[in-house]
Amino acid sequence: MSTATAPALGATSRSGVLDRVDARVQAAVPDRLARPVVAVAALATAASAFLAWAYSGSFPGNLTVYGYPGGAQVYVVVLAALTAVVAVVGPTPAGRRFLPAGTTGAVRVLSFGTVAIVLFTVAAIAVEGGGLVWVVWGGFLAVVLALLLLAAGRALRPDERRFRPGVHPAPVEFVVIGLVLGAALFAFVEALAIAEPPVFAAYAIAVATGVVAASRVGWGRVIGAMSGRHSGVTVTAAFLMAAAFPFTQGADNRWLNVAANIGIFATVAIGLNIVVGLAGLLDLGYIAFLGVGAYVGALLSGAAASTIGWHPPFLVIMLLGAASSALFGIIIGAPTLRLRGDYLAIVTLGFGEIFRITVNNLDGSSGPKITNGPNGIPGVPDLKMFGFDFGQPHTIFGVELGYFANYFFFELLLMVFVVIVFVRANASRIGRAWVAIREDETAAAAMGINTVRLKLLAFAGGATLAGMVGTVQAHVTSSVTPDQYQFINSAFLLAAVVLGGMGRVQGALLGSVLLLLLPEKFRFFADKQLLFFGLALVLMMRFRPEGLIPNARRAREFHEHDDEADALGAPPGAPVAHATKVDRL
Amino acid sequence: MDQFVQQLANGVVLGATYGLIALGYTMVYGIIQLINFAHGEIFMIGAFGSYATYRYVLPDSTPVGVALPLMLLGGMVASVAIAVTIERLAYRPLRHAPRLAPLITAIGISIFLQELVRLYFPGAKSKIAFPQLIGGDPLPLGFGATISRAKAVVVVVAIVCMIALATFIRRSRTGRAMQATAQDPDTARLMGINTDRIIVTAFVLGASLAAVAGLAQGLYLGQIDFRMGFLAGLKAFTAAVLGGIGNIQGAVLGGFVLGLVETFAVQYVPGQFGGGAWKDVWAFIVLILVLVFRPQGLLGERVADRA
Repeated sequence: MSTATAPALGATSRSGVLDRVDARVQAAVPDRLARPVVAVAALATAASAFLAWAYSGSFPGNLTVYGYPGGAQVYVVVLAALTAVVAVVGPTPAGRRFLPAGTTGAVRVLSFGTVAIVLFTVAAIAVEGGGLVWVVWGGFLAVVLALLLLAAGRALRPDERRFRPGVHPAPVEFVVIGLVLGAALFAFVEALAIAEPPVFAAYAIAVATGVVAASRVGWGRVIGAMSGRHSGVTVTAAFLMAAAFPFTQGADNRWLNVAANIGIFATVAIGLNIVVGLAGLLDLGYIAFLGVGAYVGALLSGAAASTIGWHPPFLVIMLLGAASSALFGIIIGAPTLRLRGDYLAIVTLGFGEIFRITVNNLDGSSGPKITNGPNGIPGVPDLKMFGFDFGQPHTIFGVELGYFANYFFFELLLMVFVVIVFVRANASRIGRAWVAIREDETAAAAMGINTVRLKLLAFAGGATLAGMVGTVQAHVTSSVTPDQYQFINSAFLLAAVVLGGMGRVQGALLGSVLLLLLPEKFRFFADKQLLFFGLALVLMMRFRPEGLIPNARRAREFHEHDDEADALGAPPGAPVAHATKVDRL
Repeated sequence: MDQFVQQLANGVVLGATYGLIALGYTMVYGIIQLINFAHGEIFMIGAFGSYATYRYVLPDSTPVGVALPLMLLGGMVASVAIAVTIERLAYRPLRHAPRLAPLITAIGISIFLQELVRLYFPGAKSKIAFPQLIGGDPLPLGFGATISRAKAVVVVVAIVCMIALATFIRRSRTGRAMQATAQDPDTARLMGINTDRIIVTAFVLGASLAAVAGLAQGLYLGQIDFRMGFLAGLKAFTAAVLGGIGNIQGAVLGGFVLGLVETFAVQYVPGQFGGGAWKDVWAFIVLILVLVFRPQGLLGERVADRA
């Protein structure tokens, strides 16, 4: 937009007051004095988690015990202890070596996480019991200590250490990558094992805090550099880790089913990421392309409710599903991609609705009998390929795996394919052209890029991938109904891409896992989930539009004008508060 | 012939509602090139606001002539308050962000508002019966066709609102400032126009008209529902594009065309693809056809292409 030239003059930084207080405190208290204070406060907080917090033992984890921590208290102990260690180790030679980006940011993040868990848990005890009287003095002490810890963290000198991630021998780097991915798998499996929502919430806060703190001390960049040097190894290892997941679940289908759904969702989200993240085309009806594939898959699956008798081999069905989706993509895309981007959003939204209404109507009374209308096509049989029955549990490496594991493995293969398409396209001439179109279509056209053809390629390509995945989805959900393809699901897919970080595979993956796992974990919240989903979208766009795992270039694009406004708003000679921020990109 | 006139009347009523909502889209789009996706929800809030005024504020025996204007006022207060809040808290901070960001925000707001009403408005989890204040025999239109009094009032009110808006934009100082801002925000600012205030004005006007549409739909359909904004908003945006986005007259024309297409398709498309079940599909097919053959809309868009 050409309107984007005048930043709000005189805009002050949001945290201006806080920054000034910080500066005052830091001037008064020397860093080497502040660090032991932080450590003591942290240890005291950790100790308070060994006290009883609740009168009633009914609160998850039984927090009525003196002497050892239970439930959420465990995470308080872990985070607080980490805070103490990081604060003390920071200025030592070892700290300088292994925590290269400085430790103040990490201390503040960790103490913030500690406070968050303590406050959340105490509040949850009070809400669950029906009043603050249910909180024992130990809980209040923990709140006070944690807040003291948070305050003490402000006295530390801000991080100014810049560093260049070193290059280590390849085997060392492989081990580090493996450890990181192993930790991720462990954290995921652990998350599934925690049944009580309040404890899970504490766990989630702890994990998020740990990840942010690790990136503040510079590990994010170190690991990023390593995985960048060995991207092939990293991707392979990541898929191996994912493939190891079913072995942690064994014959229990509960979470394998969720994982199979996540697999579908994530694969589709990566496909959408090509359209939205790389080419910058806002597709609000992407779920309909999945639906086209799913209906093709269900109709040809040989299900009893299917109106088509023909039942070709599954690979043929997959190709047909992909082809039909591609056809729709071209029909929708060809006229609208010649126009400005906003029209595409609305036409795809309209297409999504047309698709849903159409499959709803093709029931024999409002239209030809093809899709059975609102009842959809139930009883889609399990996949059978080359004599392998996906509906049966199989034993691999001596572990019996629930039958959803079969689908999960197959989805992983599909995902590998989609990721390869994504990565190869992104690295090619086509990918660069997409980025050019996304950034400035007029300029791209002037450089000789055939914008319409390339946009159509992205759009129809995305549709093709979704159609292909749809044929598998029909078998995983075992029934295909119009409701599964309504607008809100397109919004979910888009949210997965946006929350995770546009234009990156990892982003779409993380977004999908979060969006499908959290509702499973907070089922008692079912009624308000959409409310929070909407709010989360708004807040995300407001405060972290680049997503959780940002693409460096996109992050700069989103924050271009904040910096400009800050730079103009700040008094001359004021320290540039964003020095560390630039570092983190 | 009687069927034709009857459907014509129905189409005009439907089109009046679409046109009123479409004006909100087109004004905001014309000025800040934002598809205010949540505008459908503003319309829904307007309907619920006027219902709440009737149900919880007005005494039971209020005469219709007093109740209707007060309900409209209640609806407008609700929808304008929400629209201004959204603009201030969600859209304004994103004004310089890439285009995708405000669109996604708008989707989030839309979902949030729907859920807010569904969860916290008493009885909103199912459809709510809207008071039928305008009773009496239907008015004859000739050729044996009739129009209910509620629908007649809706059409008259809608047309009055549209004329008032057009006059406001053409004649008043603020209206001319809106035109200037739409043409070139930077220059408008240099000319001493407070563009932030103009943008808020566009949101306020759009929300007020949406509230009129909300009350109108409640009156002639006899029910409201937290989901009513989604499809209506989508159709209204279609109407705005149809007429040429950013073009005030275009939005009205697009609304009427879309309303007529829908009602006539229901009546005249033969065989299984006729009937109410397919009317939304026809509406979108018209949109796609317009985009193929006349992408600037029927009357031509009035925004400089800045994308």
